[in-house]
Amino acid sequence: MSGIEAADASGINGAGLIGDANPLRPRNTILKRYCLIAGFASVVLVLTAHVFVFQTDWARTGGLGQMLKTAAWFLPNLGYFPSILLALFETFLIALFGTLIGMVIAIPVAVLAARNVTPAGLASYWAGRVTIVLSRSVHELIFALIFVSALGLGPLPGMLALAVRSVGFLAKTTAEAIENIEIGPVEAIEATGAKRMAVLLFAVLPQVFPIFVGNVIFQFDINIRRAAILGMVGGGGIGLIFAEQIMSLAYDRAGTVVLGVVAMVLLGEYISIRIRSWLL
Amino acid sequence: MAVGEYGITVDDARRDYRRFVNLRRLIKFIALLLFCIFAVWTVWYMNMPLERLSGMFGRIGTMVFNRMMPPDLDYALTGNVFYSILETIEMSFLGTVYGVLLAVPVAWFGAWNVTPSRTICYPLGRAILVLSRAIPPIIWAMILVVILGFGPMAGTITLVLLTLSFAGKLMSEQVEAIDMGPVEAIRATGAGEIKTFVYAVLPQVKAAWIGIIIYNWDSTFRASTILGFVGAGGLGLYIRSTTQLLDYERTMGIILVVIVLVIASEILSHFARQRIR
Repeated sequence: MSGIEAADASGINGAGLIGDANPLRPRNTILKRYCLIAGFASVVLVLTAHVFVFQTDWARTGGLGQMLKTAAWFLPNLGYFPSILLALFETFLIALFGTLIGMVIAIPVAVLAARNVTPAGLASYWAGRVTIVLSRSVHELIFALIFVSALGLGPLPGMLALAVRSVGFLAKTTAEAIENIEIGPVEAIEATGAKRMAVLLFAVLPQVFPIFVGNVIFQFDINIRRAAILGMVGGGGIGLIFAEQIMSLAYDRAGTVVLGVVAMVLLGEYISIRIRSWLL
Repeated sequence: MAVGEYGITVDDARRDYRRFVNLRRLIKFIALLLFCIFAVWTVWYMNMPLERLSGMFGRIGTMVFNRMMPPDLDYALTGNVFYSILETIEMSFLGTVYGVLLAVPVAWFGAWNVTPSRTICYPLGRAILVLSRAIPPIIWAMILVVILGFGPMAGTITLVLLTLSFAGKLMSEQVEAIDMGPVEAIRATGAGEIKTFVYAVLPQVKAAWIGIIIYNWDSTFRASTILGFVGAGGLGLYIRSTTQLLDYERTMGIILVVIVLVIASEILSHFARQRIR
């Protein structure tokens, strides 16, 4: 296989994009590619027809005019805005402390799940991995349901749900960062006769710290969005108000809440950009 | 007494150094103290019942290991629930496909360096990226359920928006990081905006985009499992109905299926990522 063909097969070569523009590519590869595209397109078409035609009650949905009319119900009612400010502030606090608690839990989990520093071999490695997978694959609403049933309604279960949900991402990225550290400093510190904890503190931590802080800030950004829906299941914050307004068909007020959430998310993004440029 | 190069004694230097170190320590200490006060104030302000935390693990243990066990897998793998699982996969597949199809032009418009027009297309692309990102998927789903009615169509469109916001942003960041040399070379031949994009931009970002799309599939699939909670199709509906009936064994069965599917999709995308490398 020539170099060009190899690059083509890996799909990285720019000429591969145009398909038949490359004279070096054998004909049957082109045919195969067209067959693949046609097969994919027909699957997409069948599924699209299933969802958008057969699974949708078009008599209830109405035409485009009806949809626009319904969407216009959501135009925000600005007079309602002041009364959701406190709930927005609460949501913000839930996101902030949820992220911080998650950060604290994520550090030991990351140490467990990093192959090169895990303390007790395969057992602790898999313990860390399973924690990460569980935290990443269960939605925050389900965590919130569990914590609400254990702690009662309010912002505390919401914070803990966010914390548990954040552990997966933070520990996963940090464990990857720990696995990719340079071994030089570790050997240097070990050569001084340092214990395991000292190696972690003085050789591993300085190398992964910037990555970790960057990911915590990124997670905070995501958690603001997540905190906005926890109220639906009793986890505190703006979600309860939104669900109430939707259920009482006060769509203009629901639109106001959406506007508030957008404002809060943008504010949070601005804050995290500032913190990032200040810290890193 | 030792005198340095600029007539500063070592003692002076040491005093100077100590002064700055002490100031920094003081600032750090004050910041930490303020943060602790803020945390305590938050607990007080939000009426958080911290005393309940001690019994929390016991109660969660009872819930997870008594009431949720054994998970009712029969319920999760037969009849309507099984069909809703297939519907979830279908929704996330369609959401990813259409989301990516829409994200390509939006990423192109929203990248400052190659956008077709900096006065019209750039603000448009940015506005789409920011707005779809600023509203959480569940809230999108609730709004779309009101507008489009119950069913997988609302969920699919929510996932399209999620893909737009997530993959679109990462994809446009990739476009902004490209080497401008090929772009200028293609433009110099007199190529229009579309041809410049196809022949100068796409070849540079293609590999990174495929990685982003695979990563995006993972997050889309995870999000799709909950959309049924608000009636937007998929198995979330059964998570909601079984928890409201306090039928936690069935809930656990569904959650287990979700976990298995998420792990399967992660393994799949891991192999896909290795293949494109």
